[in-house]
Amino acid sequence: MNVGTRKILDRSFTAVGIGSIVVMGIALLIVIVPIVFNGMGSVFFTGTIEHRNMLYNEFGKGNSDVLARENAAAGAYRREIYSMLSKFEAELESMEPEKQQELRAQYGPVRTALQALFGPLPGDPEAVLTRYKYGQTRWDKAQEKLHEFLYEAKWDYSDPNAMAKEYFVSRAAGFEGTSLVKLFPYVEKNLDRLLRPEFTVYWGFLTDSSVDSHIFGGIWPEIQGTFFLAVGAMLFAFPLGVIAAVYFTEYAQDGFFTSMLRSANSTLAGVPSIVFGLFGLAFFINTLKVSESKSVLAGSLTLAIMILPTIIRAAEEAILSVPKTYKEASLSLGSTKWNTIMTVILPAALPGILTGGVISLGRAAGETAPIIFTAAVSVGSAIGLADVFSSPTPALSWNIYNLASEHEAAAEIRHVQYGMVLALVGIVLLLNLSAILLRARISKKLKG
Amino acid sequence: MKPMKHVLLLVTMFAVALCAPAFAAGKSIVLDGSTTVGPIAKSFAAYFMKKYGVKVTVSESGSGNGAKSLINKTCDIASMSRAMKPQELAAARQKGVSPVQHTVALDGIAMVVHPGNPVRTLTKAQIADIYKGRVTNWNQVGGPNSRIVVIQRESNSGTQEAFKELIMGKSAQISKTAETQASNGAIKNRVSSTRSAIGFVGLGFVDRSVKPVAVNGVLPSAASVKSGKYQVSRPLYFYTNGQPAGNVKKFIDLSKTPDGKRMVAELGFVVK
Repeated sequence: MNVGTRKILDRSFTAVGIGSIVVMGIALLIVIVPIVFNGMGSVFFTGTIEHRNMLYNEFGKGNSDVLARENAAAGAYRREIYSMLSKFEAELESMEPEKQQELRAQYGPVRTALQALFGPLPGDPEAVLTRYKYGQTRWDKAQEKLHEFLYEAKWDYSDPNAMAKEYFVSRAAGFEGTSLVKLFPYVEKNLDRLLRPEFTVYWGFLTDSSVDSHIFGGIWPEIQGTFFLAVGAMLFAFPLGVIAAVYFTEYAQDGFFTSMLRSANSTLAGVPSIVFGLFGLAFFINTLKVSESKSVLAGSLTLAIMILPTIIRAAEEAILSVPKTYKEASLSLGSTKWNTIMTVILPAALPGILTGGVISLGRAAGETAPIIFTAAVSVGSAIGLADVFSSPTPALSWNIYNLASEHEAAAEIRHVQYGMVLALVGIVLLLNLSAILLRARISKKLKG
Repeated sequence: MKPMKHVLLLVTMFAVALCAPAFAAGKSIVLDGSTTVGPIAKSFAAYFMKKYGVKVTVSESGSGNGAKSLINKTCDIASMSRAMKPQELAAARQKGVSPVQHTVALDGIAMVVHPGNPVRTLTKAQIADIYKGRVTNWNQVGGPNSRIVVIQRESNSGTQEAFKELIMGKSAQISKTAETQASNGAIKNRVSSTRSAIGFVGLGFVDRSVKPVAVNGVLPSAASVKSGKYQVSRPLYFYTNGQPAGNVKKFIDLSKTPDGKRMVAELGFVVK
């Protein structure tokens, strides 16, 4: 091969390398930016007075005097709406039956849209579900609801041979000639006075329990559940994994049995996580009966089995990378094998072992499939440490899935879902970061 | 080993912080089962926790799983959107479990299409033909020329079983080309984003993003389900092992209280 060809090959290899790094960077940006941006929206957002009322009534947060003043100010504007409504209702009574029926059909959705914005209207029976006790708590959502209030979505079915297109009709037009016509521009013009939007920093999103299945409130039970499950898994998997790695590297004779064990370990690392989940259900809950129902304990055990192969592998690599001379020096000084492992090999291998452990911790925190059947529930309060043996828990990974697909009001609470995703990504990043820092510190110490 | 000590200290601090709110509450109530009954179960749970201070956990993993959990005694209440099957009852007896059925609410199974679909009404026979794969284009049932994307639920679903029984007859097979989604919410999402799709969801899940079609000329609504005019409806159940007692009984009886009935209605289901 002549020099020119070699140079071209060399350069193109460099270009491909840089290219792939750039692609990875872009992919990371595309994934991370919306998560961070939308996730922050669950803590930092423009909240309305309804949000502050909700916080005060459900969590006892906020200043009652200030809130009372605000409610009085907003109430003054709202009373105008209510009087328009009652005036129109009286007007309805005096109309001819046909006209009345037609208008009533249009009036129902108007009331519903108003309820979505401002909560229950005068004369409404008191709602039992918290979600119907308050109006829109977020200004961005309120603006969507305002659009729904002002315009009716209709579908153009005129062409029977094609799927219809959506178009919007002003609701006000339907009430032409009645007193209600004035309501629409009034609400549009005064929406900020009716809802009093204010920039809100809601740290409670991270520390409060959810209210009415995640429609209001925070995600503390999920964060705590994730923490319990991940730490529990580590408590089981880490000691076992390190002991197994010591056995593999220091005690096991090379032979059929050992190679079988090794390949079994590698196979286990490649088993899909849902299989571990079902195994956990069948073995820990139905056979061993570690708990009466799903529980943090059963979930942790299942996750522990799942991350065990990774921990064994990482620990094995770390132990093997300890220079042979350390061991030889220790043995030559008359130390026993056990003593050498405990005082020389393991401390030297600790950074590698810990890194493997913390990365597995991150994986345990993020897995969904193993905990579906063994630990996770969609609704539950935060559990105490005493309950981990018997109680199931909500967990971030499972609740993200639940909110994305199963929740009946999924489209209304996307911000909660994003908030959970950001919290989970944040937890995993923090764990990985701490692994890096820990490793750096210990390595420095060992060298020092 | 100084760093190790830091780590230990940190972990202990965390553990103490987490322990602080620990309270040894009485025995909690564990619910497992249907995603259709999910909204009711979750709302009842929140209400119950607030009113009585008893912890309630709710899992939504499908009616079939609910039944299995009850049989394996890993839940107190199985929420199901269909009645238990003879095989399940037999399995329960074998394990010494005697399931008792409690009706919580009625629910219509709404056939939903994309709001842009001009089709307003279908007969039961047409729906059956669509799901059997005999009708594959919307123009065969009065719609535009567009291939029908048929969406069904997974085999674990009580809604799926009820749908088959009520529309297709027990022995009929759903076409192999039908796409499977794992929950009511997932079907709603899929249908609202696919113009030529058809799916079925519990009445409580119908919102503006999808359009329910009339079945045999009757639109699904609380009134038409209650009066029996809308034919694709079924009761939703809570199952317990033996007659319920204590807190479990209180929880089940919630559906008979005025507040319980209001919650069922507010969620869009039909009070029995």
